[in-house]
Amino acid sequence: MKKILAMLLAGMVTVTAFAGCGGQDNQQQKGNEGGNSGDAVYSDASWADAAFGDEKDVTLKVWAPDAAVDLTKKQVEAFKEHYADSGVKFNIEVKPMEESEAATNIVTDKSIAADVFGFPSDQFNRLMSAKVLQKLGTKFANSVKAYNDENPVKAATFTVDDKEGLYAFPETADNGYYLVYDNTVVTHPETLEGILADCKAAGRTFIMDGGNGFYGCVYAFTGGAKIDGFESDGTTQKFTEYDETEVVNTLMAFAKLMKDYKGTYVHDAVAAISTGFTNKKVGAGIDGSWDTAANKKALGNKLGAAKLPTINVNGTDKQLVGLFGYKYIGVNVASKYPRSAMTLAYYLAGQECQEQRAKSNGWGPSNKEAAKAVADDPILVALFEQGAVSVPQVNIADTLWTPMGNLGAEMYKDSWDPANKDKTLELFNKVKANIRDEG
Amino acid sequence: MTYVEYKQLNPFQKFAYNFKKFFKNLPGAVGRFFKTIGLAIVHFFVGIGKGFKNYGTTFVKGDWATKLSYIIFGFGDFHKGKYYKGILYFLVEVLYALFMIFFGGSQLALLPSLGYLKQYDYEDADGFTVTVLGHQSMQILLFATLTIVVTIVVFVVYISNIKDAYRHQVMRENGEKPTSLKTDAKEFLDGKYHITLLSFPILMISVFNILPLIFMILIAFTNYDGNAHNVLFDWVGLEKFGDLFNVLDSANKGKTFLGVAGWTLIWAVAATFSNYILGLIVALMINKKGIKLKSVFRTMFVITIAVPQFVSLLVMNQILAEEGALNLLLGTRINFLGGEPWVARLTVILVNCWVGIPYTILSMSGILMNIPEDLYESARIDGASPYKTFTKITLPYMIFVTTPQLITQFVGNINNFNVIFLLTNGSPTNPDYFSAGYTDILVTWLYNISMGGGKKDYGLASAIGILVFIICATLSLIIYNNSKSMKDEEAFS
Amino acid sequence: MIKSYKFRRALANTIIYIILGVMCIIWVMPFVYLLLHSLRLDGAPVGNGEVLPRQFTFQNYIDLFTGQSSNAEVQAQSLNFPRWFLNTFVVAIFSCIISTLSVLMVSYTFSRLRFGARKTLMNIAMILGMFPGFMTMIAMYYLLKIMGLQGQMVSLVLCYSCGAGLGFQISKGFFDTIPRALDEAATIDGATRNQIFWKIILPMSKPIVVYTVLTAFIGPWTDFILAKIIMQDNYDNYTVAIGLQKMLANEYKTTYYQQFLAGSVVVAVPITLLFLKMQKYYVEGVTAGGVKG
Repeated sequence: MKKILAMLLAGMVTVTAFAGCGGQDNQQQKGNEGGNSGDAVYSDASWADAAFGDEKDVTLKVWAPDAAVDLTKKQVEAFKEHYADSGVKFNIEVKPMEESEAATNIVTDKSIAADVFGFPSDQFNRLMSAKVLQKLGTKFANSVKAYNDENPVKAATFTVDDKEGLYAFPETADNGYYLVYDNTVVTHPETLEGILADCKAAGRTFIMDGGNGFYGCVYAFTGGAKIDGFESDGTTQKFTEYDETEVVNTLMAFAKLMKDYKGTYVHDAVAAISTGFTNKKVGAGIDGSWDTAANKKALGNKLGAAKLPTINVNGTDKQLVGLFGYKYIGVNVASKYPRSAMTLAYYLAGQECQEQRAKSNGWGPSNKEAAKAVADDPILVALFEQGAVSVPQVNIADTLWTPMGNLGAEMYKDSWDPANKDKTLELFNKVKANIRDEG
Repeated sequence: MTYVEYKQLNPFQKFAYNFKKFFKNLPGAVGRFFKTIGLAIVHFFVGIGKGFKNYGTTFVKGDWATKLSYIIFGFGDFHKGKYYKGILYFLVEVLYALFMIFFGGSQLALLPSLGYLKQYDYEDADGFTVTVLGHQSMQILLFATLTIVVTIVVFVVYISNIKDAYRHQVMRENGEKPTSLKTDAKEFLDGKYHITLLSFPILMISVFNILPLIFMILIAFTNYDGNAHNVLFDWVGLEKFGDLFNVLDSANKGKTFLGVAGWTLIWAVAATFSNYILGLIVALMINKKGIKLKSVFRTMFVITIAVPQFVSLLVMNQILAEEGALNLLLGTRINFLGGEPWVARLTVILVNCWVGIPYTILSMSGILMNIPEDLYESARIDGASPYKTFTKITLPYMIFVTTPQLITQFVGNINNFNVIFLLTNGSPTNPDYFSAGYTDILVTWLYNISMGGGKKDYGLASAIGILVFIICATLSLIIYNNSKSMKDEEAFS
Repeated sequence: MIKSYKFRRALANTIIYIILGVMCIIWVMPFVYLLLHSLRLDGAPVGNGEVLPRQFTFQNYIDLFTGQSSNAEVQAQSLNFPRWFLNTFVVAIFSCIISTLSVLMVSYTFSRLRFGARKTLMNIAMILGMFPGFMTMIAMYYLLKIMGLQGQMVSLVLCYSCGAGLGFQISKGFFDTIPRALDEAATIDGATRNQIFWKIILPMSKPIVVYTVLTAFIGPWTDFILAKIIMQDNYDNYTVAIGLQKMLANEYKTTYYQQFLAGSVVVAVPITLLFLKMQKYYVEGVTAGGVKG
């Protein structure tokens, strides 16, 4: 009996295996035939056409950051109302989830994760390698391209199996750092030299977390050594073409300012900026958009915001360049109702919802029309300006942060000689050599 | 050296003598250990061979019911009137068959390839992407492991079913009747009580400890990286172990392993001995005659044990921060946790004293109070100085009694995740390391590359886990099986 | 001579008092710091540049239990400390019962019963606990999922108590110190091993039972890794440890840092009180077990 059982089993396994292979081939062919939507675009920047197919009784879960949960719930109601006559019964649950955690959870087990979820651009790598993001259909992709700023769209475009595709809906274009200052102290926010002089005169400090790779990369980027996605192997960080002398000169200019303004130019955690404003110890700082509320609370109407300043390198003013991230709304590949999930994600990342979030939460829209609606917010304007000159925070090797942080930390040391060209070059080359990701 | 000669040595010579003896005996102990393991393996295979022989002979000697038990579980028992056992055996077979048909069989079939269906997508006519999910190697591996474990258990049941059938056959031939359910139940409360007591814990441990462990060991032979829970990966043999010892490798895995392992060892030694010695001194001070408020002092230290470590260590982290309370008090800006590597390393060892000394004090205080009073009494009559009593009575007694504890603590410190993770999380980072920092020990590095924020490599993490395990397990087995308390186990009671 | 001896002893004692006093301050100070800062008024998070808070308030504690935040503009919906506290308490009670029973059963077996596989099982049990646990967590997660327990508190109880049997050494050491003559006498009187375990050994083992209960009870309050993998977005089933960790996430830190401190105090106080109350037994248990273990 055991033998028979075993033979039966073996037979079954073989059959399913063959069936599996066959199915794959068939469908792959079908896949190649389909999907010729061409250049078609949805006429509305919020609403896709109702095409739910055989999805009749739909249950979806949405993960939104805690601060946006209530708003998202309202938006979901609007979504249900809009598609009320499509004959689909929607049952949509909105759950709070930190954006960085969303990626961790969906990678751990996509089958119980949300169907639609928000995430920041730095999680793209993980999500792509775990293959959990549903690719946007051509018409969706075209619409997103047509209505949104090109940078976040470009950052969400990946080539998988030789096919280029858009893998998430851009939701914001403000995830970066900018200059925040006390406008009673700093009167020349345009140049780093001016800011430092103002701060020194007032006995305040200027804070930048240059020992942290996320902010420290500004030093190398400003010099022209910017990162540009991966090499063709998909893991080794690529750099743009740059002039080595220029990089070294810029680094030396930064180091000189650190030395000249010792005690004013301070490397510290960004959390120290808002507390420093309250204690009247800090005059200006390079802080992220996520700390906006704390800074507003600390400074009130004394708050000044601008894009990052310039630094004078041998007579020319060079714009400081930083990393700039975006937030996206993605669709889980394991969603049982992919059409509904896709349509909902299109709406949640659409013009209407972006405008609502910009008004209630101060999130800078990626949608071009929505961005016009917040043109009077100084912080968002500063962020948009900075975003235009920044390196997008996507396709970044895990090994970027530590060496970039070391670069800032080394130059900040008391023992560092800002006039030593050879040593600066050596340091920079060491940093670059350490940014590798061959694991 | 005779006992009398030994007694005449001064403490330093004694120490040197013992030290030498320890290392002289060490190869012997290690040798014995491997001999024992070797013997165990030989026994194991001999046992299997014997099992096969019995399997055959039983079949030859068995009557038709016993022979039928080879295919249908419990048939022999049933035939001989042991109905409840027969039904139970048969139930096991039915359940196992169902399990294999609906679940286990397909998983097992996929084990060699770890799955082959790739996830792919296509666009349908309405412009929606349709994704067809592929095989998930991680789940295949886990469920195949589950199937194997279940199969082994069922196999054991199968063999015991045959043995039982034959036993009952022999009993019937001798004119004996099978025991009743009531008698069996009684036996489980007395003669076979160990089975009753151990079965529940063993079941829990098998499912939640052993099964995941086998799974983890298997992962060390795959190229499973942390983001590949949902996709395919493959067997890679010993590649990951190779990575760990390949110092020239450009991703620095080998270099990191050597560096981190070295620091782990230093850390474990420093942490264990600092805790032991300082804890002993404080315990002696608290327990010294004439010191009042003993319980107050002890209570103060105990608070550290009672407060959860993720709270107490995070508070420590705050206090030691660059802008933290300690620097403000000292008027300095020392980066205790992320600056110079040696500062950070010293800091974690010191903070570990803060965490660990209370444990030592607690256990030591109890032992100190247990030292037989008459020893001190006679010493006092002999006019021994307090220093003499300490070195002649207290210290030898303590060391004798607490050696096993010391070993446990050493192993515990090799795996001391909380202190490092919550305090420094490995910082300051080492640019030459693969996802690790100067204060990272093997377990925290393992965490970084499996669950934490670093570059993921589950295969490598498993390989590290296996090596850590081998080191710790060998160490403890040797020490325990050679320790006095283990040898004298029966003598004490 | 006598006088100088007395003097020396007094001097030595004074020095010891001073050393112990200083050490006590070092040991307790961090908790005082925690307590004071949990009562701090201003909402500034880390590194506020002051050792002692200037103004005090109970608001942080009130916020923690009412689920409000005087700092936050939008109330976080995933934070629910009272619920987490209750969850942890329930999980701790159940896993404590199962763990204690497992430990006592295993250690009694190894201490008193003699059977073939005993030594082997003891050796296996001793080394099993030495595997670094993180790699097995993902496996545990999927095992619990096929049992349909993903996100349930039952799964936490299972996880925390499953391996308890492996930690038998200390209580086996304790049982070893109970004279065997007792068992033998009882056997002569016709008692089964079951009766010996429940009626003779256990009643004599109060210290070790208390010790085991204490250690098992604390476990669920401190785990912040496994619970998170199991719970994911089931905030209603969170335990305090992962809940408090969550408050330290970037998104919440600026507004909930004070509540984190208050929450830490709320968690630490009952455990500390319990510990102090049971200290005597803990010491007895660990001593008796440790000497032999």
